[in-house]
Amino acid sequence: MSRGAEFETGDLVIEAERLSRSYRKGAILTPVLLDVSFRVGAGEFVAIMGRSGSGKSTLLNILGFLDRPDGGSYRFGGADLSHADDDTLSAVRNGRIGLIFQQFHLLERATALQNVMLPLVYTDDGSDDGAARAERALEAVGLAHRGHHLPGELSGGEQQRVATARALINEPALILADEPTGNLDAGSAGEILDILRKLSGAGRTIVLVTHDRDVARRADRILLLNDGRISDADPA
Amino acid sequence: MRWTPQRRRRLLRSVLHSRRLLANHPRRTLLSISGLLIGVATVTVMASVGAGAERRVLERVRAMGTDLLVVSAATAPTIAGRIRQSATLTTLRAGDAAAIAEQARNARAAAAVLNWQGLARWEGRNLRVAISATTPAGLSIRNMRPARGRLFDDAEDRELRRVAVLGPTAARSLFGDVDPVGRELRLGGVPVDVVGVLRARGTDAGGTDLDNVVVIPLETGRRRLLNIPYVHAIYVQASSSRHLDALEAEVREVMAARHSARSGLPDPFIIQNQAVLLRTERGTARAMNQLIVGTGTLALVIGGIGILAVMLVSVRERVREIGLRRAVGARRGDIRLQFLLESALLATAGGAAGVVAGFTVAGFAALIGPWDLVLSWQAAVAGLICSTVVGLAVGVIPADRAARLLPAEALRAT
Repeated sequence: MSRGAEFETGDLVIEAERLSRSYRKGAILTPVLLDVSFRVGAGEFVAIMGRSGSGKSTLLNILGFLDRPDGGSYRFGGADLSHADDDTLSAVRNGRIGLIFQQFHLLERATALQNVMLPLVYTDDGSDDGAARAERALEAVGLAHRGHHLPGELSGGEQQRVATARALINEPALILADEPTGNLDAGSAGEILDILRKLSGAGRTIVLVTHDRDVARRADRILLLNDGRISDADPA
Repeated sequence: MRWTPQRRRRLLRSVLHSRRLLANHPRRTLLSISGLLIGVATVTVMASVGAGAERRVLERVRAMGTDLLVVSAATAPTIAGRIRQSATLTTLRAGDAAAIAEQARNARAAAAVLNWQGLARWEGRNLRVAISATTPAGLSIRNMRPARGRLFDDAEDRELRRVAVLGPTAARSLFGDVDPVGRELRLGGVPVDVVGVLRARGTDAGGTDLDNVVVIPLETGRRRLLNIPYVHAIYVQASSSRHLDALEAEVREVMAARHSARSGLPDPFIIQNQAVLLRTERGTARAMNQLIVGTGTLALVIGGIGILAVMLVSVRERVREIGLRRAVGARRGDIRLQFLLESALLATAGGAAGVVAGFTVAGFAALIGPWDLVLSWQAAVAGLICSTVVGLAVGVIPADRAARLLPAEALRAT
């Protein structure tokens, strides 16, 4: 059974209640998120859309446990992890959340296959079929034949597909994508969105942040983030 | 922390992962280990050359016997701090040896000797050999025993008989397959009868063949061949090596009485005490070892600082990579462990490369220099272990710095 089916339809994967986050620069406190509340159900494909600097990435970091909110609560899969220790959050990031970044964040001197296997270095399940799993993940993004290439030998779209395979290797329940098409041409962007769409169809929950309305339209639902506040928008 | 199979597996994966990362950056890896490499290589060379030199001196001292005093004549007391000797000293007499043998209670035997280089000839073959003239007691002190034939005796010495025993190399070089016993060879112009061939004694620590020698009775050599009144040296064997210092005092007394040494003036003879040489050598070896330990410590510190600097730069360069690792599930402990392992692997690799380089240089040094090749495995193992420890120690700060990075901020780093 795939880990993606961790939650059943109707379960809430994300419950954000009045999340707030500000950054201090010297004496100035800049609020980035203000009372952000929203929910995402299992299997949903949600786009969070906003202008540059609207707090999209901050919100995604909080959802991915890369950052902690100053206020409010965030329940992931029904569990409140706001007081969990760093090791617990690391384990959640490793096994239950897959992250995709605008800059791909691939290790330059490691092959595509090695990059895809990176999360397994930090996995405790002890299975030894890492290479086979990585190959399957690369196959899922259509790059089975490029496993031994270095990132420098791949196109931008292919690099992002490797990063997507890396996010998939531990079969996470939730995939968080931060402007995944921001550095890609239209063709490659379309391929990545097709892959995300397919994953959503297979039951995985996906939250994507973007400033691009065309990208956001591929999601089931769009949330607008404006000056740190969130509101629903009609996908049409 | 419990040491579960999962943790073990994680550690093993981290080691393999770190090794691959280092292999992926060969230039940086080489640069960071160069300090340790050179340091450990230097220590290995010093330890190996030191051990070689020590062994050579010890072998020379032991070859002479640790129960032996050598008395030789002295002239001008010292020049530039060193005792001057030359072959033309004429103060020692064969009678001195007899007096020492008689009067020194701790002497087992004493023998006068003359040593020089000369030509030996047999049926048109010429051979440059070491010629040694001594008494039968001298043969015994120097552990010369016959392999074929016999040695000469006191009567033959007294009667200036022209007899000789040959070392096996001299015998083979001059006579080939012919048995030399009973043949007559010429030393200079003097014919001597070969009465025996000595057992092989091999080479001394300096590589000189001890078997390329012709030994004749002392008086035969002194009066028939050289025609001189004096002898070159007197070998005095102690009844036991424990009594060597007491024997030295007795010999000094006997010699002083016979050579009317005046107070205030240095003795007209010098006594070489093998035990003192041995002690001096041990002291030198200790000092050398202290020097090596000091140099080694300095090298490790310098090498460690080099690795620390490179690791700190590496953490700064790899902030985004650290952020990524945290994003895909690395715990703080994993990041800390990774940088510690990298530092330890770097240092161990540097130490290992240093040992290999050191052994190579020591090998070349032994080829071209007057040293023996003694590869000091103790130094190698100590160098490796210390390198690893230094790597772990200097890895703590960079590893901690890496582990403290906040994932979201690390990912944003440019």
